[in-house]
Amino acid sequence: MAADPYKVLGVDRDASQDVIQKAYRRLAKKLHPDLNPGNKQAEEQFKEVSAAYDLLGDADKRARYDRGEIDASGAERPQQRFYRDFADGGSQYTSDAGFADFATDDVLSQIFGREGRAAFRMRGADLHYRLVLDFLDAINGGKQQITLPDGSVLDVRIPAGTHDGQILRLRGKGRPGSGDGPPGDALVEVDVRPHKVFTRKGDDIHIDLPISLSEAVLGGKVKVPTPTGPVTMTVPKWSNTGTVLRLKGKGVPRVDGSKGDEFVTLRIMLPEKPDPELEKFVAQWRGTYSPRQAMET
Amino acid sequence: MEAHEFALQARINTQTLHAWLEAGWLRPRRDDDGAYYSEIDVARAHLIHDLKALGINDEGVPVILDLVDQLHGLRRLLRGVLSATAPSG
Repeated sequence: MAADPYKVLGVDRDASQDVIQKAYRRLAKKLHPDLNPGNKQAEEQFKEVSAAYDLLGDADKRARYDRGEIDASGAERPQQRFYRDFADGGSQYTSDAGFADFATDDVLSQIFGREGRAAFRMRGADLHYRLVLDFLDAINGGKQQITLPDGSVLDVRIPAGTHDGQILRLRGKGRPGSGDGPPGDALVEVDVRPHKVFTRKGDDIHIDLPISLSEAVLGGKVKVPTPTGPVTMTVPKWSNTGTVLRLKGKGVPRVDGSKGDEFVTLRIMLPEKPDPELEKFVAQWRGTYSPRQAMET
Repeated sequence: MEAHEFALQARINTQTLHAWLEAGWLRPRRDDDGAYYSEIDVARAHLIHDLKALGINDEGVPVILDLVDQLHGLRRLLRGVLSATAPSG
């Protein structure tokens, strides 16, 4: 150690013993290896600072150094083994208080197991299932059961508004864990069967509603099916095929408690069997309206 | 090592040893014959000496020891996390 001890401590040659002690303490607090367990450089600097202080902190030695009787390396400390050299591998003093609040996380739990804190533990594997649902069961929710290959039965709660392809997670219903590790989850993929009347687009329901000629021309009240049962809807006068009416809140329930809408597309239907009375009536009707006007070139 | 030898290596007298044990600054492993001291206890005693030399008072020492112990716990955990997430091979 050849460095000038005054420079190491950052003090003047005529500094008082008090100033030297303060300078040493300031540096040592910053550099002490046990307060910097991951910093290799700190140890080297700390040794240098300690050696300088061994020399200058002692008024007699300092005077001899100043007179040139001993050189700067004359006061090297014996090798000190620091606490961090023992504590780093884990000991009776090692504390988990710095992360005990997130120690429940699966990954960390596994690390603890690996580090020998407890016996080997690992979370169980997830199991995958498919569940085919009727259209309305998926929208309205409810309880379903899956019969597993081993004959046991798994209860599945279907949340209202479940959509095709959605994966339901059943916590702790997978394979058991190893050691005291938690079990895995059951992941149930939902297949929703199509409905003969309803079509789903996002949270909205679409439906084609046939109406009679007189309902279209004169308007009136009609019964419309919705996922939660039929409701009465007013068809305005002069409603054409393709007119879309909205039934607010009759669509799919959302997670936040609100609901989508049902959109009703009107289709004018003539009676299936020819009706002589209607033919006679229409024959007397002379309209000038040409529905194909826009197509003419 | 026995308490007597430990006190010599740790550069403390029996009275100080009892005080530090009482305060929980030193927690040697124990077996049927009583406390058994090892190198880590010596190093910890030296750390306590160093802290006092830095001007830390008796109220400050346990605070620093506790934080240092937490730091080592975290370092050990971090090393475990890194080795668990490192690509194998």
